Amino acid sequence: MAEIPVVAKVLKLNDELAAMNRLALADAGVRCVNLMGAPGCGKTALLEATLSALAGKLMVGVVAGDIATTRDAERLIAHTPHVTQINTGGSCHLEAHQVRQGMDHLPLTDLDLLIIENVGNLICPVSFDLGEGARVAMFSVTEGHDKPAKHPSVVLAADLVILGKIDLKPYVPFDESIFRAYLANMRDNLAVLPLSATSGEGLSAWISWLTDFGAGSSGFRVNLSI
Amino acid sequence: MHEAAITAALLEQVRSFLPERGRLIEVHIEVGEMEHLDPVVMETLFAVSTEDTRMAGAVLTIYPVPLSVCCENCMENWMPEDPALLVCPQCGVARPKIIEGSGVLLRSLEVEESDGG
Ligand SMILES: Nc1nc2c(ncn2[C@@H]2O[C@H](COP(=O)(O)OP(=O)(O)O)[C@@H](O)[C@H]2O)c(=O)[nH]1
Ligand SMILES: [Mg+2]
Ligand SMILES: [Zn+2]
Ligand SMILES: [Zn+2]
Repeated sequence: MAEIPVVAKVLKLNDELAAMNRLALADAGVRCVNLMGAPGCGKTALLEATLSALAGKLMVGVVAGDIATTRDAERLIAHTPHVTQINTGGSCHLEAHQVRQGMDHLPLTDLDLLIIENVGNLICPVSFDLGEGARVAMFSVTEGHDKPAKHPSVVLAADLVILGKIDLKPYVPFDESIFRAYLANMRDNLAVLPLSATSGEGLSAWISWLTDFGAGSSGFRVNLSI
Repeated sequence: MHEAAITAALLEQVRSFLPERGRLIEVHIEVGEMEHLDPVVMETLFAVSTEDTRMAGAVLTIYPVPLSVCCENCMENWMPEDPALLVCPQCGVARPKIIEGSGVLLRSLEVEESDGG
């Protein structure tokens, strides 16, 4: 019997492909956001609002991940032609090679920003680097204020937290101070943006964040008047 | 929930390290607490997907790795009991960096080398 020592990350291949995505995006001058959140938290609605707010200001591409169906892409195509849908065929997260396929369908050099809508799930997507420059964890008031405490992995991985559907706050038992306290128990310096894709409240802070993040590294900046 | 994807990646990796004439006996992996992977599901997937291969019958041994973090403020290292409570016991600031407890690591393989080569 022989022991073969290995000591290698099981997701080494994914990590390497993600690094290649990151390089390809940097070469094309595209900044990239990985948007993660539970099914129905409002990711696609936020992207629709984001695309219309950024129309004429930034060229935005979207890679939309879903288990099946092209419903999200059909909603987004009304706002930008640069949408690709990736069907994961049952898998609960996107992987770097799938994002690469999506990127290959987009005119990268024309884009300023690529937003990846991950498969609706707060656990599995966290393990898979896609080559993004920033990870955004999205919760919504209808999910209840305890969700960050139940999903520490995504909170630890996030560069920004979005709290969506705040227009529904009067109708649901959601305490924002408890929500924020749960987050602060894990990361006391993590930015939280409350917003509503429906009413537009809070959207401008998100648009500014999107416009500014990683701007230093790519030397890219744009003036916005929203 | 992503046991299938992780197991598939693991099998691919094991295959690449398995000597041509070797029969796989055991695989040792470390699974971080933050991965939320179910060891029983992993073992079952591993057994099912190695059927009728040189890896058939091999044992998947999983070593759970608990979360351990380092405070970015005061550099204190500690192992939180609850991954949702990460306030530093030393300085009271919640700015943890994960040191251990995330990711899946293939540690080693045990292989029986067949003779007559
Ligand atoms: N009231 C309200 N409803 C929203 C908001 N954002 C999304 N929704 C609704 O929530 C449901 C799920 O939204 P969707 O964008 O498909 O979520 P996804 O699964 O995360 O992409 C849809 O019925 C949306 O119309 C919001 O800000 N306010
Ligand atoms: Mg969606
Ligand atoms: Zn899963
Ligand atoms: Zn400390």
